Amino acid sequence: MKGELIDNLMAYVHTRHPRSARGVEEARAVYPERFNAIANMFLGWLQKARGERGIENSVDAFVQFTTDVNLAQARYEASGRYQHKSFAEVYADHYSQKEAMDDYLWGIFLTNFLWAHHTEISLLYRDRFLSKLPTAAELVEIAPGHGGWGVWALTVLSQARLKGFDISPSAIEIARSICRAAGAGDRAVYLEQNALNLTMLSPASADAVICSFLVEHLEQPSQLFAVISHLLKPKGYAFVTGALTAAQVDHIYEFRYESELVKICEDHGLRVLETLSANPRRTLPKARFLPRSMALIVQKRINDLF
Amino acid sequence: MESILERLTEIFREVFENDELVISPQTTAKDIEGWDSLMHVTLIVNVENAFGVRFSSTKVAGLKNVGELVDLIAEGTRS
Repeated sequence: MKGELIDNLMAYVHTRHPRSARGVEEARAVYPERFNAIANMFLGWLQKARGERGIENSVDAFVQFTTDVNLAQARYEASGRYQHKSFAEVYADHYSQKEAMDDYLWGIFLTNFLWAHHTEISLLYRDRFLSKLPTAAELVEIAPGHGGWGVWALTVLSQARLKGFDISPSAIEIARSICRAAGAGDRAVYLEQNALNLTMLSPASADAVICSFLVEHLEQPSQLFAVISHLLKPKGYAFVTGALTAAQVDHIYEFRYESELVKICEDHGLRVLETLSANPRRTLPKARFLPRSMALIVQKRINDLF
Repeated sequence: MESILERLTEIFREVFENDELVISPQTTAKDIEGWDSLMHVTLIVNVENAFGVRFSSTKVAGLKNVGELVDLIAEGTRS
């Protein structure tokens, strides 16, 4: 039964969204077995959370999201700058629009494996980050969005508990539904909260922090790393991802070099253990900018040098 | 509509680098090699520049064939 989920998704893409078929097939071809394992896990949760037509509706949302991203990238190529500069602009145009936000989040949920370079990041997360964490880890997820990353941790770490904080009510609702679908609803709490206010939580309270693709949505990214550092126990781990020269209607802060993210981590007492900078297999013709998604596994130092 | 289709044919030939390409309102992505999601956006940006219009990404994502693109251009150039 489960093996059919990804096959059904592929068939739907080919029939209803033939322009998207090439990219999706590329994602599957990179690591076919591992792709199938991740895809079926995510799709199983999705189907339970959204019902019979949930996968098809989410594929529609994925195609819309990918078009948004590609169009934003084309406009960025022409203008040399991201469309928005302030969080307030993005909040008014996007985050406050519930229906659009729901589709946006379900679309992003599928990028975790339907974008080939995000499959690479998913594998780093599973094989190199989750494998470092204790079974009973106390986890904090900052801006979980659809919640998939944190829920994945809960399914791997059988006694772990998670607190998730997101500014979007849509995100809270979707993250809860995914968590329940994965059978981990009793080990997670999701609260509506601005990530940058989390210094009000107890310091050094988390074994691990997960923060996926938030940093480029902020006006001052360094504030986020201060929060991560505050929350982590000494020697605790964080998995952080961010976008570089990758336009999206709600991206504000334009990172150009991988070293920028490494430097922010180091400036906030976080030792960079591993990084992965992944890019799409294909770009727009004559592109000046290479859109990348970067993942970092970091560890909280116990003092300035150790 | 015919003049839009003629201009559009030139744009398609340029974007897909095929001087022999013939399109009709019924033409879809399945009929043209290389018309994937990335080339779709490249095509749209070229169309926007040529006709002096700008489309929403929702309209762009929903286009099913050349005929719908012609209608969208006609709508954009009327307003």
